[in-house]
Amino acid sequence: MTAEQTPPFTGSGTHGFSPTIVGETPVPGSALSADPRWYERAVFYELLPRGFFDLGADGIGDLSGITAKLDYLSWLGVDCIWLLPFYPSPLRDGGYDVADFFSVAPECGTIEDFALLVQSAHARGLRVICDLVINHTSDQHPWFLESRSSRDNPKADWFVWADDDQTLSDIRVIFVDSERSNWTYDPVRQQYYWHRFYHHQPDLNYDNPEVRDAVLEVVRFWLGLGVDGFRLDAAAYLFQSEEAGGENLPETHEFLKRLRAEMDRDYPGRVLLAEVNQWPADVAAYFGESDECHMAFHFPLMPRMFMAIRREQRFPITEILSTTPTIPEGCQWGIFLRNHDELTLEMVTDDERDYMYAEYARDPRMRKNLGIRRRLAPLIDNDRGVAELLHALLLSLPGAPVLYYGDEILMGDNVYLGDRDSVRTPMQWTPDRNGGFSRADFAQLVLPPLMDPVYGYESVNVEAQLRDPSSFLHWLQRMLAVRRQYPVFATGSLEVLPADNPSVLAYARTTSGPGRPHTVVCVANLSRFAQAAAVSLTRFEGSTPVELIGRSTFPVVSSADYPVTLGPHGFYWLEVGAG
Amino acid sequence: MPPSSEVLARMAAGYLERQAWFRSAVASEGRAPVELVRSELLADGSPGLSRLLLRRGPRHFQLLLGWRGTDIGGVLRNEEGALLGAAANGDEEVVVYDALADDALCRVILEVATAGSETAERVRPVASLVSHASLVFDERLFMKLYRVLEAGSRPEVEVLFGLQAVGFDALLTPATRWRDGSFDLALVRRFLPSALEGRLLALTSLRDLLGHVTQSDDAGLAVASDPDAAAAAAGGDLAGEMSRLGETTARMHVALALAFGDEPLYSGELLARLAGADGSPSAAAAALVRDAPEDCGRSIRLHGDYHLRRVMRAESGWIIAGFADDPLYQASDVGASLPGRVGSPLEDLADMSFVLGRLAREALASRTAEESELGSRLALGWWRRNRQAFLRGYLANAEVRRLLPGDEAFRDAMLAAFEEVRERRYEATSAEG
Repeated sequence: MTAEQTPPFTGSGTHGFSPTIVGETPVPGSALSADPRWYERAVFYELLPRGFFDLGADGIGDLSGITAKLDYLSWLGVDCIWLLPFYPSPLRDGGYDVADFFSVAPECGTIEDFALLVQSAHARGLRVICDLVINHTSDQHPWFLESRSSRDNPKADWFVWADDDQTLSDIRVIFVDSERSNWTYDPVRQQYYWHRFYHHQPDLNYDNPEVRDAVLEVVRFWLGLGVDGFRLDAAAYLFQSEEAGGENLPETHEFLKRLRAEMDRDYPGRVLLAEVNQWPADVAAYFGESDECHMAFHFPLMPRMFMAIRREQRFPITEILSTTPTIPEGCQWGIFLRNHDELTLEMVTDDERDYMYAEYARDPRMRKNLGIRRRLAPLIDNDRGVAELLHALLLSLPGAPVLYYGDEILMGDNVYLGDRDSVRTPMQWTPDRNGGFSRADFAQLVLPPLMDPVYGYESVNVEAQLRDPSSFLHWLQRMLAVRRQYPVFATGSLEVLPADNPSVLAYARTTSGPGRPHTVVCVANLSRFAQAAAVSLTRFEGSTPVELIGRSTFPVVSSADYPVTLGPHGFYWLEVGAG
Repeated sequence: MPPSSEVLARMAAGYLERQAWFRSAVASEGRAPVELVRSELLADGSPGLSRLLLRRGPRHFQLLLGWRGTDIGGVLRNEEGALLGAAANGDEEVVVYDALADDALCRVILEVATAGSETAERVRPVASLVSHASLVFDERLFMKLYRVLEAGSRPEVEVLFGLQAVGFDALLTPATRWRDGSFDLALVRRFLPSALEGRLLALTSLRDLLGHVTQSDDAGLAVASDPDAAAAAAGGDLAGEMSRLGETTARMHVALALAFGDEPLYSGELLARLAGADGSPSAAAAALVRDAPEDCGRSIRLHGDYHLRRVMRAESGWIIAGFADDPLYQASDVGASLPGRVGSPLEDLADMSFVLGRLAREALASRTAEESELGSRLALGWWRRNRQAFLRGYLANAEVRRLLPGDEAFRDAMLAAFEEVRERRYEATSAEG
């Protein structure tokens, strides 16, 4: 793309537009596909409303700002935007401490802004999902304020209260850096309340049917505004019990099935994406029998991609893939490289965690809880080749890829900011003031944009990369376009192919729809040195592989193992036709 | 009428004389003739197949011969080397050849060996030691077809089925054992196509490590000041994998003890086990045994040839891919154990430790002199780090400690002595070479 072809991404284009509330009926002018299983083929784009684009010029990103950038996201080639929390909140946990489930934080906009964002996205063929924080509230939420006020108020049992902190004592603490117990004493009610996360985030009591009904009311409210689904925050912890470490309890699944059933009945085509940071075999239970969550994140795969590249061996990846169960029809994994949280190392062994810390977080400031609070580019020493390889894996392994805002331009992080704000700095749009994120004074900004020589907005920004046809942004846009042409990446089966070089990872993705099976073979060199490998492709004997990006043909597959040579961190996507 | 056994045996004798593995097996047997012990017709028709049990002196051999009509162009692998000659099949003239060169007959052999329980569509031969042929069927079955036979149970077969019987699963699972009288003819195991030899992983790690040195001056300085720390800092660290291999090794030893029993290891036996190539222990080894505590640990059935080619990294973790099982096999260049040996489990650990060190030295061979200077320090750090990780994983198994000397200092000294023996044997072998 030349500079002249650069689309006009920076205009607001929203002023004077009269928003309408979007209901169940299709949006006039919607460009959405009618496929109810759209999420299986989608590429998601996770963004932080407060840090994406500040159209209101108050220093805080807002929903109207996202609307103004929809053309950019549409050009990039993503299919669905995942909005991090934008609800009213004291912001002691990035908005995951919700103080009102039924409105938009004033600094982010209004309900009408939200409706307009959804409508505008749909008009471009983009879907929108929201974070649904249903495990807990902020301690400033009116429900909790009422619940703590006495032991006999109408919401007295909406949270989990106890006279001591000894029950459920075997359940692990998740935020080990800041919390010593899952119980906190409330001096007002003079009882302890339960919280799996920060002490200012009391857990809702799902044993109380009123709570379950209230949460479903929240769900209906946002679905009524046209949202295409939810990312279910902390879905594994809704109920409390000593059994199974208090996680993944049958009651939790029962509630999620009810939620799904109501959605399917009243709002078909919407999606539930579960955040369950567990082993794949445990997470698979959240798909139910295609009657629970449509999607769930595959957490353990992510650190193993980084591990495999640093170790230059495929086994960290193939091992976790081999323990990933087949999931029911109509379900899909969500896979990712980085997100708004720390790079979680909960699902690795102690040895592996030590290794990851040593390789990717030598500075203790980079560590948070059981993870690493860094963005993609600094994690990989800003190595373009590694970034391309990681994305080639992300886009070709089974699952719907979830991109994190800013990673498409290889944005950096700021480990001197507290908590996980290190990876939540404002999006860098231009080399202008505040990186083009906001016209407010610098002092007003929600977080300081990066200004260091390597990752600062003067060097790394969307505008510059749009002008540079060789930029990572353009590369990723092309890759997304290629991926879209091959549904096999989204829904094909996976078979890891034998290769005689441990640094080479090869796998086949195959669909067996109408007509002949269609297969794409992916071969990746995890090493920083050039590698040769013989890959077992004998069942494709006679086929002429075609490389998908350049459409160049490769030598015919014979009955012998297929010789492949790859440059450092190189990869191929090879279409091999019938197998 | 297929070719007669006598005709086939006569052709086989000439064919055998052309085979390096046969010449190696009978090198010390004088000029005795090759005799047919018995034969079995496995397939009558075209192609046809017979199995011959042959003998020369005390050695027994198995040969599988096939035949087809004379138009065999493109049928055989290594056609020229596989042909034995022409014979009569009733009224038809046929060409007789080594059946392992014919994919169709290899599939017949699989069916016969497994009594019809297994069939396959594809076969591929894989490189193997000379005393047997190795075939992979449909990338799911691995057949070891013995050429040089041994009366009684072959150690590897015995160990594999013994380990399987006690529930040890880190194996290429044995599926079928094909026997004829007292001879094991073939072993069929489940194949894991994506598993790789441990040696390849170690070389990958070393490549990364040595590449790290040459990439920056800082890295070089780090190596010079603290090679162990530098080895840990380089990306392609193998320690995690070696720790897991140690865990698997411990499970193997516990299973070997369970399957084949264990008994006290006495100091006299220990002294014999510490003998070098010259048959005598070093002064240090002798002193160690002289001062040995009463508890020298237990003596168990050993792997006996434990090194990185014998283990494979599969998707689910490490597996023991093979056991020493070659009657032509001389004590390997690591100076390791002999098949079916019993002794202290520390001997297997010493084998692995020795191989790690040697591999590190080999990896330096491709480096420039300047790189080698730093590289040799780094290689030493790599060896120490991975040996340590291997032992850590091994000793994490509480059950295996019962098999080791209770006195940890003595245990460590004993391991060091076994390592030293392997070093001495290797040096002696190298000097001879």
